[in-house]
Amino acid sequence: MKSYLSLTVLFVFLAMGCASGQRTSTAVVTQPGHDPNPVLLVADSGQQAADAQVKPKTQSGNDDNFNYDDDTFKEERIEIADPIEPFNRAMYHFNDKLYFWALKPVAQGYKFVVPEPARISVKNFFFNLAFPVRFLSCMLQADFNGAATEFGRFGINTIWGIGGLLDPSSNKEIDLQKQETDLGQTLGVYGVGHGFYIVWPVLGPSSPRDSVDIAGDYFLYPVSYVYPWYAGIGVRSYEIINGTSLRIGDYESLQEAAIDPYVAVRDFYIQYRLKKVKARKARSLIFKVEDASSPAADKALPNN
Amino acid sequence: MFFAFNTVAIASGLFGSPQTVSRESGGLNTSIGYFYSEDTFKNDTDHLIRQNQVYSQVAYGAQNMWEIYVRLGVADLKISDCFNSTNVLTTTNKLDFEENWKFFGTLGAKGFYPINKIFGIGAFIQGTYHFSNYTDSVVAINGGNLYTVDLKIKNLWDVNAGMGFQLTAPLDIKLYAGPYVYYSEAKASLDTYITGLEYTERNVSIRNKSIFGGFAGADIPLLKGFHLNIEGKYADRFSAGAAVSYTY
Repeated sequence: MKSYLSLTVLFVFLAMGCASGQRTSTAVVTQPGHDPNPVLLVADSGQQAADAQVKPKTQSGNDDNFNYDDDTFKEERIEIADPIEPFNRAMYHFNDKLYFWALKPVAQGYKFVVPEPARISVKNFFFNLAFPVRFLSCMLQADFNGAATEFGRFGINTIWGIGGLLDPSSNKEIDLQKQETDLGQTLGVYGVGHGFYIVWPVLGPSSPRDSVDIAGDYFLYPVSYVYPWYAGIGVRSYEIINGTSLRIGDYESLQEAAIDPYVAVRDFYIQYRLKKVKARKARSLIFKVEDASSPAADKALPNN
Repeated sequence: MFFAFNTVAIASGLFGSPQTVSRESGGLNTSIGYFYSEDTFKNDTDHLIRQNQVYSQVAYGAQNMWEIYVRLGVADLKISDCFNSTNVLTTTNKLDFEENWKFFGTLGAKGFYPINKIFGIGAFIQGTYHFSNYTDSVVAINGGNLYTVDLKIKNLWDVNAGMGFQLTAPLDIKLYAGPYVYYSEAKASLDTYITGLEYTERNVSIRNKSIFGGFAGADIPLLKGFHLNIEGKYADRFSAGAAVSYTY
């Protein structure tokens, strides 16, 4: 029943996905040496992403550290529709209070009691357990190398990593790196745009496209099948508390540095997902060619 | 006597090379292993005991000299001719005791002293406890009556200690051999008394006297930090196993 409700809600939001935005926000990301195509993030419903390509700026001066080609600082404008901003802001504040009033104190207590190596091991265990989502996503993205890597990681970490508590696969000698991908990224690789921005209660920032991952995660994550249901919720809660204990301070830093934390989180989220999708496209055997010809394949706003 | 065994001997798992495969500065190594053990136990009659063990091991070692390890695995148990009746009026539907996978745990420690770059000598001790009972049922016919009897092997544990001599061959292959002693004990009980049969319902301690054995093996470095360990033991019967370990 829960899954039907989730899917119904998801369908409604997908149907609304082409709604116009109501606010504009901009964030410029320039990382010379890291990203040859810095991204300009814009939340504006009235502009098309394709129109948002900013002409590359040519740098002058005597700085020899960087090669300022015309393409080096080409900026890509990504638009974020936020048609339900009042709802999103309400959910943002709800999640914010949930974090500061409940999650963070519990995580701090947990952090005080449990040493960091143990918490990292727990994190590794749950990450290993989520292998089916990543493996399936790699396969659907036609990233067979990534799928093989995930399969190898799962086997090695389960057998020699004590059920996934340790991560020998990431060691220098074996060097099978994590494939942090999901079904939302898979849709992004297929060319599906974000849709609009949405903040789910408890789950946090998302989009209709990335919300597919919530449903996929439910069905493909073994913890979802823990019986009885409250035991499963307990396990998930513990996973969240453990994960939070390893990230205390990150959210606070972002919040302190931002004039409007809501906008900062939104921009950060969209930028993060954009980079993830691009990285996944580059690995795909099928979609990376297409990616080269359509740089704005991950543009956020659907056309009305 | 219907079930005649008061002595049991179960060799338990690989001992491994005397020298740890962990990094010299200290670190973990983990293994997955399989061991097939065969042994005999004797009282009025000889019985053959077989066990397959599959286990996962975590070890911490340092300085190329010492290591402690924990093992968790599953093992089956088969005792040949265990249900063989010595009474002509009683027949049973089967002869062997057989039980499938049950959990066991092992703790061990080893120390090593390198005499030179090639030779070294070490000692080890390891103990194993089987957390679950091994149970099997047999149908006995006596005087035209059918009886179903359960035999339980409970609290099975063993301890092994020995010393090993190690030779480091080219390619860092470690060859080792040495003697060991072992002791094992369990409680055996039948849940039903059948008139005319010579057996006991009470828990009977089954154990072996200290039995000497010998073991030999090789630790072969593979690629990317993995090692293959193969080992054979001989006490009353031959046992052998292999493990693949990864050094962190």
